[in-house]
Amino acid sequence: MSTDTQTPKPARSAPASRADRAGRPTLGKLWDTWGITAILALLLAATPLVAPDFLEFSNLQSVLRESAYLGIVAAGMTFAIASGAFDLSVGGQLALVSVVTLIGYSAGGTALAVAAAVATGLACGLVNAGLITGLRVPPFVATLGTLFVFRGVAYILTQDGPKTLPYDQIGSPFVKIGGLNVAGIPLPFVIMLVVYGAAWLLLRRTATGRRILSYGSSPAAARFCGISETRIRIFVFALVGVSVGIAALTYITRVWTADGSAQDGFELKVIAAVVLGGTSLKGGKGTLIGTFSAVLLVSVLNDMLVSQGVPSAYQRIVLGCVLIVALTIDGLRTRFAAPGSFRRALSVLVQRPSPVDGA
Amino acid sequence: MTADNTSPEDPPLLHVDRLTVEFPGVRALDGVHFDVRGGEVHALVGENGAGKSTLLKVLGGLHRPSAGEVRLGGQPYRPRRPADALHAGIAVIYQEFNLYPDLTVAENVYSGREPYGRFSRGIRYAEINRRSAELFGILGVHIDPAATVDSLTVSEQQLVEIAKALSVDGRIIVMDEPTAALSADEATRLLDVVRRLRSEGRSVVYVSHRLDEVFAVADRVTVLRDGRHVRTAALADTDPDELVRLMVGRDIAAAAPRAGVAGDEVVLDLAGVSAGRQLRDVSLTVRAGEIVGIGGVAGAGQPEVSQVIFGALPITAGTMTFDGAPYRPGSPADAMAAGIGFLHEDRKAAGLLPDLSVRDNLTISVLGRLRHALTRLLSPAAQAGVFADYRNRLAIRTTGPDQLIGQLSGGNQQKVLLGRALAPGGRLLILNEPTRGVDIGAKFEIHQLINELTADGAAVLMISSDLPELLGISDRVYVLAGGQVVGHLTGADLTEENVIMCATTERRIFSPAGV
Repeated sequence: MSTDTQTPKPARSAPASRADRAGRPTLGKLWDTWGITAILALLLAATPLVAPDFLEFSNLQSVLRESAYLGIVAAGMTFAIASGAFDLSVGGQLALVSVVTLIGYSAGGTALAVAAAVATGLACGLVNAGLITGLRVPPFVATLGTLFVFRGVAYILTQDGPKTLPYDQIGSPFVKIGGLNVAGIPLPFVIMLVVYGAAWLLLRRTATGRRILSYGSSPAAARFCGISETRIRIFVFALVGVSVGIAALTYITRVWTADGSAQDGFELKVIAAVVLGGTSLKGGKGTLIGTFSAVLLVSVLNDMLVSQGVPSAYQRIVLGCVLIVALTIDGLRTRFAAPGSFRRALSVLVQRPSPVDGA
Repeated sequence: MTADNTSPEDPPLLHVDRLTVEFPGVRALDGVHFDVRGGEVHALVGENGAGKSTLLKVLGGLHRPSAGEVRLGGQPYRPRRPADALHAGIAVIYQEFNLYPDLTVAENVYSGREPYGRFSRGIRYAEINRRSAELFGILGVHIDPAATVDSLTVSEQQLVEIAKALSVDGRIIVMDEPTAALSADEATRLLDVVRRLRSEGRSVVYVSHRLDEVFAVADRVTVLRDGRHVRTAALADTDPDELVRLMVGRDIAAAAPRAGVAGDEVVLDLAGVSAGRQLRDVSLTVRAGEIVGIGGVAGAGQPEVSQVIFGALPITAGTMTFDGAPYRPGSPADAMAAGIGFLHEDRKAAGLLPDLSVRDNLTISVLGRLRHALTRLLSPAAQAGVFADYRNRLAIRTTGPDQLIGQLSGGNQQKVLLGRALAPGGRLLILNEPTRGVDIGAKFEIHQLINELTADGAAVLMISSDLPELLGISDRVYVLAGGQVVGHLTGADLTEENVIMCATTERRIFSPAGV
């Protein structure tokens, strides 16, 4: 971060309206995309004071490794929420996909395990899509139901004990998915980066992404633009399923064991991360940069709390408070959106400490 | 230039002084003066984007001014929320409905002000139903107070909004385009209600694009243009031509001249088309280079015809032919692929994509064409090109391609949606109410554009409840009533009287002209 305290603050952009008229990004728009990233940067900047151990290389590696599976599913969930729906079943999907993947691995090695993970995730997504488009069950209800169903199936498959990776497999390519480092960067995080790159292109640079946002913004108007509701639903829920499939590969090769109870409450963590990132629950808006930063924020915060010996119950409370604070800021912004009052409020905060630039 | 013809003796009930309202990127009102005396009907006119709706929203407590002052009965009036306006005796009927679709008519009328029983603490339904029925009696319409709002037609919903404002018993009643969704009959009765309110000593602020209504009912008129006050005058001292000139800032012709280049090639043909109970046995033809109008009273099946053709409403009997081939679209996507552009009559509910930019709103209909040949990714340059093209052609006023569509005025929103319908470059355009809620200048531009399109060989099917528009630019007009074609007018038969006759009586008029 900047160290030169003499650096003049950016000049007060005269009448607020001018900035808009020239098409320059306003503070409000910047907050939409980069707000959570800025908070993450602040948090990281504060780490040397709060938690010096955090910056140790091995710890950074472990934080990135652990954030991957949450991050990959959150990328998929960003599409669902941008389309105006959400998928509550991802926790059940993760448990089921993990169990099936381990069964696949013991039956046919790495190739079958990878295929089983992606195929099971996709199948779960298609089940959701079928309920929603075929039987016209609202997404909330359909995925709430399948959350229990998927977990139930995972329990049945692990009746005689959790599925595990045997210790003698430690050298196999499959286990390396979770353990390998590429140039010092954990492979799960590399996979997550690739997923976010692809997801960003899909959302921002493809016709499909534009149609998803359009549908989320106004289903009725989207219909008269020739956008098929059925196709959007199928695509989005299949995408979430596939993201769970990929995430499960990075997850199971870290924890080595899975049964029906794996990652209880995962779905709400995912949704919290997406919303924290700035994607609107009303649909029509989605930011993958925000989701990405929010996932890292949650992981970093968690790691710091753990390293400071904060009990896990308090960790949850902190996460909840962060979510509430972030959404409060967002809500205030929307409420005072009128004549640049948020901008004024923030500029007061930003400018107060610095003397008015004389020359 | 702002020569006031007002008599200075009685102080105004409502006094708006140098009012300025700013939004990001726009100054919606710029030092506007406006006043309302007790017991007068004061019309407020201006093009879309002139600032009328913004002024009303300040009065209604939805917007707060950046500068200036409003005084009500001599006291400063600074509503912070809609309830403050109601307490002060100002009832505002907005252009957009604010109704709860799942609640009953009476519950909506008395929403937030329900009378409660003395012992049960429950809403006194009998009382609100009776009082609502009385209000509808004043309006001269029959609407069941116990019906849910979503079962009502658009014009009935408008009447519920009006009843809601009347129920407040306010000193000042503000109406924004109250007759936009009403039939001619209902509009006439509404004007009677306005006169009656005046005779009771109340004041009415009446916003309308229809100058005939303004002259029929108002005492004074204030013209706004581009957020500024242009002139306030007594109606007796002005005339429609002058008002139009003041609103637009220049002289304009009344209607676009019609090129008249209809060819012989049939683009669209409907034979005996029915759709459930909404359409019965509809037959019509549209040729290349022709503008075919569809008229009738509200709810006669006009939007349904357009939706059947666009694949948004399933056809239950009959056949359609498009470009000489049998045509049976299963979805709007099929219709678009066949080459049909569509403009929905309800801009807010089924037109705008509110979270998206003006560029994305316009290019959504041609995404397939904006992809890079190899990567299949959307090309920002191609999108910018299409947008710039239509921005120039339609004279869309926007701060830039990234501006959110909701920040544009109604007329400019409509132009973006027209661009969306035109961009695919199809052979047939279905335009539902192409100039609804659009100012006079933009209206003229849109009519000119439609003319140009037909000169290039496109066929246009235009549904319009605006009779001068329907008759002014259509080559032929079909009149609908009860989901059936009850008239087909061409040439000398194209008169307002004939349209109204067909639409509202048992008379059937089918012009013989070689059609």
